[in-house]
Formats: sequence, C-alpha cells, structure tokens
Amino acid sequence: MSEYTIAATKSSPAIDFSPAAGLLRIRGESYPENCSLFYQPLFERLRGHLVAAPRCPLLVEMEIVYFNSSSSKAFMDFFDLLDEAAASGTPVSVDWRYHEENETAQECGEEFQEDVEHLHFRLVPLSD
Amino acid sequence: MYSYYQSMNREGVVLYFNGPISQSVVESIGDMMRRKMACEEEGMQTARKVFAVLVEQMQNIINYSSEACRSESEGSLGMGQIMVGRREDGFFVSCGNAVDRDMEMRIRSMIDAVNGMNREELKDYYRRQRRAEPDAASRGAGLGFIEMARKASKPLDYEFTPIDASTSFLAVTVSI
Repeated sequence: MSEYTIAATKSSPAIDFSPAAGLLRIRGESYPENCSLFYQPLFERLRGHLVAAPRCPLLVEMEIVYFNSSSSKAFMDFFDLLDEAAASGTPVSVDWRYHEENETAQECGEEFQEDVEHLHFRLVPLSD
Repeated sequence: MYSYYQSMNREGVVLYFNGPISQSVVESIGDMMRRKMACEEEGMQTARKVFAVLVEQMQNIINYSSEACRSESEGSLGMGQIMVGRREDGFFVSCGNAVDRDMEMRIRSMIDAVNGMNREELKDYYRRQRRAEPDAASRGAGLGFIEMARKASKPLDYEFTPIDASTSFLAVTVSI
C-alpha cells in the first residue's frame, strides 16, 4: 500500500501515513469546514491497511494544537477503529503529543485515553 | 461610523463582524483574535477558550444560518454576526443569525439541556454524544453547544426573536 501525505493548512493538519513503516503522523490544527469529508480518505486507507496487515505494529503520533467539536467526533471514530484492531490482535500505539502548558490538549488526551480499552494510548508532554 | 466606534468601545467590544462568513473568514478572524490576545498578554488558557468558542460559533453560522449559500465543492457562506468583547468579569463571544423557525425547538432543547448540567455531567454528556450518531438535522457532530458550555463560565445565554412566519433571529452569548 502506498504512502498517503497531505500538507497542513490553517485549519487542517499535515498527515503522513506510511503503511510500510507502520507509522501515521497527524500534526497541526483541526477545524476544517467538513470534517468527515477531510478525514474520510485517511480512514479508508487505514481500514484497508488494518485488513491487509493485521499483525504489523502501528504507531500513531498525534500532535494537534486545537481541534473543533466535529474533529473530536472524527478522532473518536478513528480511535474506535484502532481500538477494534487492537482488540483483534494488531499492536497499536497512539502517542498523544501536546505542549506541556496546553492544559486543554492534555485534558482532551486524557478523555480519549479513558475511552479506549485495547490500544496503547500514551500522553506525551512536550517542552519548547 | 464614529458613533459605532464610540458605542462599541463603551461596551468593551474587541471585534465585531456582520456579513457572510466562510471557512476562510473563520480562519482569519480566529488567527487575528489569537494574535491580539497574545499581544495583550491574556492568559493562554483564556485565549484558547475564546478561540475555541469563536470557531464553534462561526461554524454554526456557516452551517445553520437560514441566509446562506451552501456548496460542498466551493465551501459554504452563512450570513451572521460575531462579536467578541470584554467585561469586568471576563470575555464574551456572541453570535447572531437568522434560523428557520422549525429549528427553534431543537436549538432550545439542546441549549437548555447543557445549561442544566454541572462540569462532570457536561463531560459525560460530551463523551456519550461523541459516540452517538448526530441527528438528521445536524451538519456537524452535534457537539457544538456542549463544547461551548464546557468552555463557558456561566450558562449559555440565548434569545430567539421572530423575523417572519418562517424565520427567527437567534442570538447566543457565551461568557468565558
């Protein structure tokens, strides 16, 4: 499966998905006009990858400065998808990266962490 | 224009916009407020809340204003008003736009529901709704008012004013 790369805009994050390396990076802001439309192509590729390579470890690195309420829903759907894969045996880790002074990003990470069961969800505070 | 300038200064208005709102307006106004609050050395936590509520309010106008031009390919425009101001007890973010009257009951019940909840209840409700399918009338995730209530320091203040048989004017103020 080929790599999937999207450049960041003011309201949407950069996405780098390398199925071969088992690495997905999402970085930036997330408040696009139509969230489901924006994330749909990534989710489809991810689903395809999880079916094709169910035993390959997958690391997801997320570093989101701000996300709106529609993105929050999209991320929950995304973590549910990953959690299902983890439940059926795919080693999945999510690193939720946030600036140590961004309490909102930390709390949001904690809430996602409480809502997943099987995947390995780590909170990663960053300093300057 | 000078009389507007004077009355807005008197009321602590930092930003006022009346007109068509598109995603690019959301991005530029949001950006501008972030920079302005950084310049004035407001606390980062307050600046983040104002930004978050501003984005939700403006995207609500794009999605639900009854005076709108909607297009998936080119992006939508919704007519509305946005105001950010500062009072002695903190910031407020207000929005105003026309809505179809048949949306009124739905919006009232959504806001009344969140206004009756404490922090913990809001958190639980948010997490439940995040996993639920949004209802048919929603163009987003149906989480906007819960998100705003979680950022607010007081209950959300709203008012419907009838415009004509099919339209009402909705004003929502979020205190931060």
